[in-house]
Amino acid sequence: MRRAGQALLVLWAAFTASYVLLHLLPGDAILIKFQNPELGLSPEQLARIRQAYGSDGPAAYLHTLLGFLRGDFGYSIDTGTPVVERLAEALPETAKLAGLGFAVAIVLAVGIAFTPWLRELPSLFVAIPVFWVGILLIQLFSFRLKLVPVIGGSEWQQLILPVLTLAIPICAPIAQVLARGIDHAATQPFVQVVAAKGASRRWILWRHVARNAMLPALTMAGLTFGELIAGSVVTETVFGRNGVGRLTEQAVSSQDTPVLLAVVVLTAAVFVLVNLIVDLLFPILDPRLRS
Amino acid sequence: MSRRVTAAVLLAVTGLLAACGGGEPAAKAVVAGQPVYGGTLTYLEHQPPSCLYLPAAGFYPNGGLLNQLTDKLTWQNPETLAIEPWIATRWEVNKDATEYTFHLRDGVTFSDGSPLDASAVAANFDVYGKGSTELKLPPAEFVNNYERSEVVDARTVRFFFDKPSPGFLQGTSVIGAGLVSKKTISLPYEQQCQLKNVVGSGPFTVANQIVDKQIDLKARKDYNWAPPSSKHQGRAYLDEIKIIVTPEDNVRVGALTSGQADFVRYVQAYDEQTVKSAGFTLYAEPTRGVNNGLYLRPSNSILSDVKVRRALQKGTNIKEVVDTLFTPSYPVATSVLSHLAQGYTDLSKELVFDPDQANTLLDEAGWKRGADGVREKDGKKLELGVFVSLPQPLSKQTLELVAQQWARLGVKLEVRPGDAGTLAVDIKNAEKTAVSHGMVGRADQDVIKSHFHSANRDVILSEDEQLDRLLEEQSALADVARRNEKVAEIQRYVVEQGYAIPLFEEPQVYGGAPTVHGVSFEAVGRPSFYSVWKS
Repeated sequence: MRRAGQALLVLWAAFTASYVLLHLLPGDAILIKFQNPELGLSPEQLARIRQAYGSDGPAAYLHTLLGFLRGDFGYSIDTGTPVVERLAEALPETAKLAGLGFAVAIVLAVGIAFTPWLRELPSLFVAIPVFWVGILLIQLFSFRLKLVPVIGGSEWQQLILPVLTLAIPICAPIAQVLARGIDHAATQPFVQVVAAKGASRRWILWRHVARNAMLPALTMAGLTFGELIAGSVVTETVFGRNGVGRLTEQAVSSQDTPVLLAVVVLTAAVFVLVNLIVDLLFPILDPRLRS
Repeated sequence: MSRRVTAAVLLAVTGLLAACGGGEPAAKAVVAGQPVYGGTLTYLEHQPPSCLYLPAAGFYPNGGLLNQLTDKLTWQNPETLAIEPWIATRWEVNKDATEYTFHLRDGVTFSDGSPLDASAVAANFDVYGKGSTELKLPPAEFVNNYERSEVVDARTVRFFFDKPSPGFLQGTSVIGAGLVSKKTISLPYEQQCQLKNVVGSGPFTVANQIVDKQIDLKARKDYNWAPPSSKHQGRAYLDEIKIIVTPEDNVRVGALTSGQADFVRYVQAYDEQTVKSAGFTLYAEPTRGVNNGLYLRPSNSILSDVKVRRALQKGTNIKEVVDTLFTPSYPVATSVLSHLAQGYTDLSKELVFDPDQANTLLDEAGWKRGADGVREKDGKKLELGVFVSLPQPLSKQTLELVAQQWARLGVKLEVRPGDAGTLAVDIKNAEKTAVSHGMVGRADQDVIKSHFHSANRDVILSEDEQLDRLLEEQSALADVARRNEKVAEIQRYVVEQGYAIPLFEEPQVYGGAPTVHGVSFEAVGRPSFYSVWKS
């Protein structure tokens, strides 16, 4: 109950902070949209259009907030379509990309952490920007080796490279924390005890060391969610995919406030949820936390 | 005629490939054999289309799409720039260009089945000419002095103007004058912006759309009203066009050269070599309007002095900009207008790089070099601001190079990246944005009015009544020779006043696979895929 209250507070704070910040920015979506020189609108015409789009000030804030509570995110100023519609289009795409990206990242991280000679990789992976990874993968696998098309191709083919692009930088910190956890756990006295009792190396590694090493890695995995979202902005742009990341990027450049607010609140909600799940997983992994 | 000869010589000198639009692809088709029907063209666009209200079609991503979906009243031959029949089979214009009568082709329909008749054409131009306050539709910049329309009979429509409007005939051929159904044109702005509501009579229709990502077009089987001068008649050769938004430059070019795409827009100058050396075709299409340039705003307190403006003009090494950043596809500007524009006059002598004279002019204007090398006057530094112009190729790099050149004169140019919001607010503020970077393409004398007139794009935030008057006089001269003289006078005036630093003639650069034949372009570089076929 308390956690749910906290979560709501976080969401409200995220909403309000972004609302205020977006309104502090110079210009607004209406000005940006209609300043197209081809249309050549006069300031008076602009003022009239702005009026048609609704008022500003505290009343507008309350109105928007109440709308959000009812699940009504308003209309995108840029395209004139309901924000809910745009999100409904973008969300499944990003969910697929981020979900698979995260799964692949975990597999890669575990693989790296448990393979001593791969342990140097994470520092490299952290260092290279997502953007560059994407371009490199496209050049190599699509343009040179012609293994997967980036233009056309089936839905799954279109996911392979973006998922890898996203997974590579995400897996790095998880692998690093996991590797350190393993090293740390391996030096603990209980490992020596278990070894003295005659357990095999594999038994020790999987039953005892891994379980202990997992806790910090899990926290890390929960935290990388933010990176996952940030990464999907870049990945979706590089690969021309239509997801929340791309939607955000476009909404930022056109200062489409209703879309941005919805994205921020949605992201915050998922973030809160992910961290809640992580917290709930802790006691399952570690009996000491159950009481 | 001498203008065209000059043009031809310049073309040869600069090695500008495929600049003649329709000419080159036609030659290719002959070499490659007979056209075949069928197939899908994969076309990669740099940006998603924005609002598709026709008068806003000038934005290239919009134009590349709407050019396949709509037809125009007239067809401007991109080689001769002559206006030829299309939906209008013939027309009459009265002597002072205040009355235009168009006779329409029979049997033309929009893709929703409604007839493209006189009342539909009248409804279109009533909106393009006057706009509509209640539907929030702004008027179109290519129609000047519009008064009203009259439907004479089902196949005849007449337009009346309250002042001479010699640019109107060409105006009926431009991308923004695409004809849409009566139902489309009576929708409010928001609705007309959306692709699903755009119903045209063109050779292709929309089959499917994933917003901001992909648009699939399919050929209209019953299309039978191409411009009479087109060799190809009847339905389009292609069955389908897939327009896919691919923002990354090297993904677009890589996809083309690796065979994943057939045609791409916006090949950057630094990618041209990659496209050519892979054996692909580079199309650098001229835009025939006001050149890519820096436009100096006299309402800025520093630039109010004509000597300072002239100094910056003299002190900008245009050739260095083009040689460093661009390719022969980007001819060095020789006037405010492109050498292929209507009414062009050669002012290259006026635009010679002369840093000594620039320094002298600045000294004369009272700007003395300070300790940090930046000139000062009455305690104020010679600092000017400019925004990076996103639609212009390599705008940031161009401006940074110019800033270096100006630094040598003791002038500081602050190049701002410009997020959309700041830009929208500050672009109309001459103190903050002393210089603007841009161009505008249209193959009519009126283009110069669009760019400079205080009631149009007004790039220099003009308070110059004389300039406005000259521009208006030009747009109301029915006699072509006299109109061209007036346009020449305006170009000279703009250069002498130091309002413009023309840089280069901005092309639209496309790349195409060797298997793609018959691509043609309208006069301002938007592709038409009607006659395209794949081998």
